[in-house]
Amino acid sequence: MRGLNRFALTLLLVLSAAAVFGASASAADPCLTIGMLMGGAKNDAGYNQSHYDALMEVQRNLPCVKVIVAEYVSDSEAESVMETMIQQGAKLIIAAGFPFQYPAIAVAERHPDVKFIHPGGWEVRANFGNYFAKTQQTFFLMGVAAGMMTETNKLGFVAGMPLGFTLGNVNGFHLGARAVNPNVETHLVWTFSWGDTTKEAAATQALIDQGCDVITMHLDSPIAVLQAAEAAGVYSIGFMSLESQQFAPTGWVTGLGLTWGDFYTQNAQKVIDGTWAPGFIRMGLAEGFLEIAPFGPSVPQNVREFVLSVTEGFNAGLLNPFTGPIKDQNGVVRIAEGEAWGNEKMGDFDWLVEGIIGSPQ
Amino acid sequence: MTWTLIRGVVSGCIMFGVPLLYATLGEVIGQRAGMVNLGLEGILLVGASVGFAVTAETGNPFLGVAIAVLAGGVFNMLYAYLAVTRRANQLASGLALMFLGIGLSALIGKAYIGKRIVGLARYQIPGLAQLPWVTKTMFSYDVLVYLSVPVAVLVWWALFRTRWGLSLRTVGESPTAAYAAGRRVDLLRYQAQFLNGCLAGLAGAHLSLALAMAWTEGMTGGRGFIAVALVIFSRWHPLRAIVGAVLFGGAVTLQLQLQAQGTGISPFLLNMIPYVLTLGVLVLWAGSRRSAAPGGLGRVYYGED
Repeated sequence: MRGLNRFALTLLLVLSAAAVFGASASAADPCLTIGMLMGGAKNDAGYNQSHYDALMEVQRNLPCVKVIVAEYVSDSEAESVMETMIQQGAKLIIAAGFPFQYPAIAVAERHPDVKFIHPGGWEVRANFGNYFAKTQQTFFLMGVAAGMMTETNKLGFVAGMPLGFTLGNVNGFHLGARAVNPNVETHLVWTFSWGDTTKEAAATQALIDQGCDVITMHLDSPIAVLQAAEAAGVYSIGFMSLESQQFAPTGWVTGLGLTWGDFYTQNAQKVIDGTWAPGFIRMGLAEGFLEIAPFGPSVPQNVREFVLSVTEGFNAGLLNPFTGPIKDQNGVVRIAEGEAWGNEKMGDFDWLVEGIIGSPQ
Repeated sequence: MTWTLIRGVVSGCIMFGVPLLYATLGEVIGQRAGMVNLGLEGILLVGASVGFAVTAETGNPFLGVAIAVLAGGVFNMLYAYLAVTRRANQLASGLALMFLGIGLSALIGKAYIGKRIVGLARYQIPGLAQLPWVTKTMFSYDVLVYLSVPVAVLVWWALFRTRWGLSLRTVGESPTAAYAAGRRVDLLRYQAQFLNGCLAGLAGAHLSLALAMAWTEGMTGGRGFIAVALVIFSRWHPLRAIVGAVLFGGAVTLQLQLQAQGTGISPFLLNMIPYVLTLGVLVLWAGSRRSAAPGGLGRVYYGED
């Protein structure tokens, strides 16, 4: 039923985008047309908005670029949406939804002249590259802030689906908290959905009932969790879009925003110049893929200064949170002493770090 | 089992159960008049999106609730028109309504995704909140929570203690007999479906204005269908619907609480608890010979000409 609705909306959006594009094409020929498809709404104050805002930044930086945006694209429609975008002249496709990797590769094979980029994927083809932010490592900094703010020594994490990179975010967060607060526990609740807001609010409440006083999340949109935490008077840490801070004006500690604007602009410029090349790209704060949100009003000065000093060391490359020895919940050493996990391993987690209360699968 | 868990489940099951209760009460009225409405999910979504949109525009959540109630009632008139006036199959009409509701609510809510609203305020029960073992969240609810049981009693009274209710139930048992007794079958069914729509709209508004305080596409997550199952669970009785809604709400919260507390059980299994419970109850009830289902439920009434 969702699928049907998404199909109708997508069709409508693509058609209207096509109409707008068709009308304006004769006026001024664009130097490049970019097609972006996403699984949800462009204004969700979350994951999708981070991509949409970045695309708008491209348009500001390169005014001659035209954009086509399709929202609510389901996995099964992704291919036909991309084909339509290509018919409309798109030469760069941003397949901004995790499940769109293989549909995008299928379309990429049929259109060697069109370039594709996909966030979160791992495949690379002649005209298909992937990219993502180093969220797992950067969540360590969020953990540092949380570990310093908590009074109950219990942190809460609401997450959608138990996937490797989600587990990595939880692990990174807990490692950061544990580094500054050895007594800390992180309680983890799965909602088995990326967008059941009512359940997210209830999960937040369940964590608060257990005594957690700093809540963070990995969901499409952080809104429901932030508001539930704010209503209960506990601290919260946002993730995805920097726009989410407004939903927790008092309890907001800090947050991670995905900021793709520069990267998209570079990609667009390279496609225009004919120098674009695919890659397996993982970048972090230093390269502008992520941004740490401003601290909330209730964060004391010493916490701010400490988090910022850790951030500096982190940006200088002095710190890899996933450096052994790291044990899992059963006390088994998963990252041996002297070993360090890099970007290519961040999707491989099927275990949780010792001290996390919750199930990895 | 600790106090924390029990407290969490009690407060959670009330918050989770209330929207289910409103939707179930509406469907009880509808089915008592002999009509199964599978479009409930769509009406919930329309209520949730309209309530949220009105609240975002006006800043008044009570106005949002009021308009959502009306919108639910009016939207469900489409189903009533199909299934009563046009004599269409009830199941097909309901499903059509559901699909329309999904699309319509996405359209209404589109501009309001990511918008911030002031949701329904919570009020403490005086005195109770001072008890030492009460958490911050217990006994602090919005007005729709406090109204839910009185509304259930009101529905019971209207169905079983008034002449209108007797006529409505007669229509549900046997439209022909009701017609012979001088009741206006079509009018009563329209009335029942209007109330059904209003209550479903209310349930949807409670989800978006008090629980999630956000609008997202498809946010009702199948609760409309759970409500239809709860009607069978409650054996078409408004007061037993309270038990059903609280039990199901409790099951949802229990699994979240168990996860937050940390149990060795897989969260995949925990996530199934509410649905397994629903299935189990349906299996148990179905085996009973004394079914309470209205005699004319689901049948098209073609009139007497």
